[in-house]
Amino acid sequence: MRAAIRMEILKTKGRKIWLVVAVMMGVQMLWAGWAISNKDANDLVQGWLFFLYQFPMLNCIIMPVIAAVVASRLCEVEHKGQTFKLLETIVPANRIFDAKFIWGSIYMFGAALGQVAIMIGMGLMLHFGGPVPWGALGGYLFFTLAVSLTIYAFQQVVSMLFANQMVPMTLGLVGGFIGLFSMFFPQGFQKFILWSYYGVLMQVGMNWDQNTRAIDFYWTVIDWSGFVLLFVFFGLIYGIGRILFVRREV
Amino acid sequence: MSNVIETEGLSKEYGNVYRVKDVDLLVPEGAIYGFLGPNGAGKSTTLKMVLGLAKPTAGEISVFGKRVNSKNRLENLKNVGSLIESPSYYGHLTGAENLQIFQTLRGVPKQNIDEVLKIVRLDNQKNKKVSQYSLGMKQRLGLASALLGYPKLLILDEPTNGLDPAGIQEMRELIQSLPKKFGMTVVVSSHLLSEIDQLATRVGIIREGELVYQDSLMKLHQYSQQHLAVRTMNNEVTKSFLSQNGVDWEVQDDYLIIPQMKDSMMAEISKVLGQNNIGLVRIEERKKSLEDIFLELTGTAVSL
Repeated sequence: MRAAIRMEILKTKGRKIWLVVAVMMGVQMLWAGWAISNKDANDLVQGWLFFLYQFPMLNCIIMPVIAAVVASRLCEVEHKGQTFKLLETIVPANRIFDAKFIWGSIYMFGAALGQVAIMIGMGLMLHFGGPVPWGALGGYLFFTLAVSLTIYAFQQVVSMLFANQMVPMTLGLVGGFIGLFSMFFPQGFQKFILWSYYGVLMQVGMNWDQNTRAIDFYWTVIDWSGFVLLFVFFGLIYGIGRILFVRREV
Repeated sequence: MSNVIETEGLSKEYGNVYRVKDVDLLVPEGAIYGFLGPNGAGKSTTLKMVLGLAKPTAGEISVFGKRVNSKNRLENLKNVGSLIESPSYYGHLTGAENLQIFQTLRGVPKQNIDEVLKIVRLDNQKNKKVSQYSLGMKQRLGLASALLGYPKLLILDEPTNGLDPAGIQEMRELIQSLPKKFGMTVVVSSHLLSEIDQLATRVGIIREGELVYQDSLMKLHQYSQQHLAVRTMNNEVTKSFLSQNGVDWEVQDDYLIIPQMKDSMMAEISKVLGQNNIGLVRIEERKKSLEDIFLELTGTAVSL
């Protein structure tokens, strides 16, 4: 397996996948900067909560795009060069699938870690109220990664099964938008949509007083049932996708 | 001589159509086995099944005397190199990097990369991106990938497809040198009769999924031996006369086709026919070309 992962790294040489992740992080940083720029000192007291509320919402569109692009870039080289028919005479197909997933996960981890770094950097720079909420940021990293890896698994399955990468790219974008708009629907409904789990697993809630037009953020109880359901989603997508990849004929 | 590949009743059904049906392939050790057939006859499907890239609907496959199943497939393929349909490569990487990937995954020594690059004469182009290679160079790189582990069996599916005449000649010379240099058994598929004729020592001809001929190339050439075509004023009586005298015949249009024979024997036949008032109007020497045999076996116009 180690050799297979090392070769995945070699295959990405010159593919500029980290650049895609960096650009998306740049977009997220610009958005965060813009969102926080019109906040006064009172608002900044709740700065950490604000970020931990806003970032997952933005992730509904940002992370699926990253997952779709990364998976597509990693799998496209195999389709273009028709390499599966050679690789599968050397290593088991399931190992190819696993190695690609592990290497793709590194990019997703990098993106999630980058977001946490942006939050900490901006929080310290703008002197958000209170100490750095390491526990909540750790939770954010964990849940963001859990949702992102599930979405990435979905993207990888589609990217590996379809030679035409427009299919997974379109699905990724459509999924992201569905996830974003699902925020307007009840949480029971959100749980059926993979891309809306960034919202389901948020640690922060928001109250908006219509009369005073004041926004107040508060810590919520983590929806562990949602997390379990996400885990089931992951198992099904990864398991079924892997079987489909292994069984298909080259 | 033992067989490196043996299949028994190998079949593949897509939908309700058999692409490959009851194929009993026998590839002897050390041979260059030419797998010949028109496009779409089932050559690639058969070879893919041998490599485990397609699952047979029915039948058994043995490679190196071991029956192949999903569990031992890769273990068996350790001594098999393959190039199926078109070369597999990563266009954004150099030739050497491409081979490094397959060398690492195969777990063979790194020095093999330089050696196989020399064999396929790509050692001067190894640091060039494969996307900049010509089709011939890509084919040679594909062959280099297949050779990396110095396999005992090399399966090459249409390795000269798309190459110009010089490239075809070069590839042919390369393939021909392999059994002598490395003791490999080579299976080469092609729809080109002339190519197989120049390369192979043993031939399998497949038509619409069925193996219609399998033997040495020499034997196939024997089919093209000269024979005589005779036409008489009464072929029916001539037939019985020939049969009585133990001469094999077959009817072809208005002619009776009989084996080549001594002049004295032919003179005797014409004399007896004359005595029986059967006019002998034509005696022609005919020879079946290899193309005619291929056409007979495959029912398809030969590609040249």
